[in-house]
Amino acid sequence: MPRILRTLTLGLFLASCAGESGKVEPGVLVVNEAEQTAAFIQNFNPFFEFGDVRWPARHSMYEPMMIYNVMTGDYVPWLATNYTWSEDNRTLRFAIRDGVKWSDGRAFSADDVLWTFEMMESNKALDLRGLGEFLAEVTEPEPGVVEFSLHRPYVPALEYIAQQPIVPRHVWKDVADPVSFANETPVATGPFTEVLKFQTQSYKIGRNPHYWKGKPGVEALRFLAFPGNEQANMALVTGDVDWAADFVPAIDRIFVGRNPEDHHYWFPLVDGTVFLFANTAVPPYDDPGVRKALSMAIDRELVVKVGMHDYTRPADATGLSDAYARFRSAKAVEAGTWVDHDVAAANAMLDEAGFPRNEEGIRFDFEIVVPSGFSDWMRAAQVMCHGFREIGVDAKVKTYDFNTWYEKVQNGEFQVSLGWSEVHESPYGLYRGLMSTKTVAAIGETGVENWHRYGNPRADRLLATLSRTRDDELTREIVYQLQDLFVEEAPAIPLFPGPSWGEFNTRQFTGFPTAENPYAPLTPNWAPQTLLVLTELAPKSSAEGVSAKR
Amino acid sequence: MKFLLRRIGFYLIAAWASVTLAFIIPRLMPGDPAQAMFARFKRKLEPEAMDALREAFGFTDAPLWQQYFTYLQHVASGDLGISISYYPASVGSVISTALVWTLFLAGVSVVISFAIGTWLGILTAWNRNGWLDKIAPPILVFLGAFPYFWLAMLFLFLFGFVLGWFPVRHAFSPDLEPGLNLAFMWSVTTHAFLPAGTIVLATLGGWLLSMRNTMIGVLDEDYTLLARAKGLSERRIMFNYAARNALLPNVTGFGMALGFVVSGSLLTEIVFSYPGQGYLLIQAVRSLDYPLIQGLFLTITLAVLGANLLVDIVYVWLDPRARRG
Repeated sequence: MPRILRTLTLGLFLASCAGESGKVEPGVLVVNEAEQTAAFIQNFNPFFEFGDVRWPARHSMYEPMMIYNVMTGDYVPWLATNYTWSEDNRTLRFAIRDGVKWSDGRAFSADDVLWTFEMMESNKALDLRGLGEFLAEVTEPEPGVVEFSLHRPYVPALEYIAQQPIVPRHVWKDVADPVSFANETPVATGPFTEVLKFQTQSYKIGRNPHYWKGKPGVEALRFLAFPGNEQANMALVTGDVDWAADFVPAIDRIFVGRNPEDHHYWFPLVDGTVFLFANTAVPPYDDPGVRKALSMAIDRELVVKVGMHDYTRPADATGLSDAYARFRSAKAVEAGTWVDHDVAAANAMLDEAGFPRNEEGIRFDFEIVVPSGFSDWMRAAQVMCHGFREIGVDAKVKTYDFNTWYEKVQNGEFQVSLGWSEVHESPYGLYRGLMSTKTVAAIGETGVENWHRYGNPRADRLLATLSRTRDDELTREIVYQLQDLFVEEAPAIPLFPGPSWGEFNTRQFTGFPTAENPYAPLTPNWAPQTLLVLTELAPKSSAEGVSAKR
Repeated sequence: MKFLLRRIGFYLIAAWASVTLAFIIPRLMPGDPAQAMFARFKRKLEPEAMDALREAFGFTDAPLWQQYFTYLQHVASGDLGISISYYPASVGSVISTALVWTLFLAGVSVVISFAIGTWLGILTAWNRNGWLDKIAPPILVFLGAFPYFWLAMLFLFLFGFVLGWFPVRHAFSPDLEPGLNLAFMWSVTTHAFLPAGTIVLATLGGWLLSMRNTMIGVLDEDYTLLARAKGLSERRIMFNYAARNALLPNVTGFGMALGFVVSGSLLTEIVFSYPGQGYLLIQAVRSLDYPLIQGLFLTITLAVLGANLLVDIVYVWLDPRARRG
């Protein structure tokens, strides 16, 4: 026995040399992939957004013509130097940048742009954003210019066309089936393109030797596999990850407190607003008064505190997050008093609407459905239930496995549910999903947006005009009217603007976006905006940093 | 021989049944795979893309029996199809990335746990009420009764996070190239120490108790008494008479455990970010990856059947009665 003990102690001692937390690999930025997985499969096909395409494909390898920056509200010229709309908003022209090279040294040209869109047209499965719905033809009317003709005037098309990742014709013309092409050794224009090492649980991507913006300040990107949030958070806290978009509870203590000098975070409220969706196809939720009364029973301050660790703030009645801050109408916000917590008024409204309390004090009851595992939403829903009971509504939280939940909400087979909303360049996409009759599916049929099944012909008319205009004045005017309509009708109940998670570690690199320098969103999850950050990062000046020891 | 042939026949039928079940069960699950795929990238896809997705994966409305025969054909030719969640990788290649590590981690820990547990069982039964018998069973049963998740987290936190003695994630360090060199094998060993250690600790008690209890019964048998009366050495009685006869239930259990090794150890894999089948299976179920689920079920059932066949063979060797039966 003692001998066994001795061997064991020796083993422990030897193994103690093996701990590798916080070990710094010089020049390498460790990025946390959004996808949680125990095993990586090598796939860099930028046309996939589903399945197991690896992060770099869309975030650091294949670049678009323009990048929409949600923080500034501008398009940043990238593989194209500018864009112009025709007078009638039916053709869109891009001037292609000179001097860009693919990572194999060949020159990039307008021909590659044409090829990319042609390939998407002949392979519908590659057209993930449904461009074929409005895009008629792509041509090169003069050298270095690509022209997109649309079926109808459609200004929101810019967002999709400009941000499509472009692939090289000289490589993809030999690909038999681009839909099942794993693209294991990518040729791309982005800053990080070279697959240096690929293993089941970790891989490393090196710099593009021919990058058109010059040598990136980071030498290589490293990715580690994490099966769950806890493991990812632990790696962030121990300094094994440099850049992540994790939800970390009590982040000031847990993450920043461990190394206040290098550990930083920034959660701008530019993700979509989180809503409480009441199914308007089911009585009594077809009554705007009922929806507003429910909204007034919610103590949003408490929801934000308990559910979201105070990382966000109560929403106003327009449903716009800070991604659309410049569109927000002060008048609509003022008129939207139904987001204020007011139990007495809510009770009065329900009395008036004809929902008397029975002898137990209950007017009606419902279930709030929440996907299991969404612990922040679950806590938020429980707080709301307390509020609903105060107005005589017997509400219960019911959790379902994510797939089952998703099927229920999409098919409209629910009473009340929590849900997210889209982030687009303009509120067009958001309000289309919230109020357009075109997005309303019958109950039992799949509706990818508009789960609450609310359609309003007035909204349709406004949205149609909005999709045809580029005039700033008119755009603002219509977006204001859409907000007025939303506040009047309360199609969905806004809870809080979604924080866009982002954490970084400055032990090796500086130049991450922060609240003081908000040049781009911090999250590594939003392609292609990550390119704005990756090309901005620089090694810490050699006097203070680890890079000096290289 | 006849006994073995009969067993092999039985296993063939069992294999067919499991192949068929692997086909039916995923189809009884709620949800639609294309929708599930949307779910994974919740706000990134447009409604129009739904049709594109369906087309990519060829979700046809062919009648069930037709799907079944195509499936049998593919299974027979070793083609398990293409994974949905790891599209366009084949199910075979996805499983093979995880299978090696599962076989290594779970296999090694089951063998260690079985060997140590059985050995301790023999010792404690032989020296009943000795110091080892008083200490080992209660402590090990206590550890085994812990929720495994909790035990693993505790070890990870203490020895990985706080003390930093062992790596906290993965099967080997990311800067190494897999190969038969000392640095790599050392890295694999240290990385496996915590996951394997917690599995062994949690399962040791079961082996010990079952061995000890059977052994105590055997020690009271007449033939043990006779062996003693013949004046055989203590060692010989302990191993050749008592332990050999008492081993049978444990061997059955060992066979079962070996078979289930292939299904991986989900909790271990999640806590220690270890690659393996268990997490793969959960992921496949979550994303309604039918082909991958089928492939995994198939490898698991075949492994269980294979292990049981192995146990049958060992039985024939250990127990003369089986040879005649």
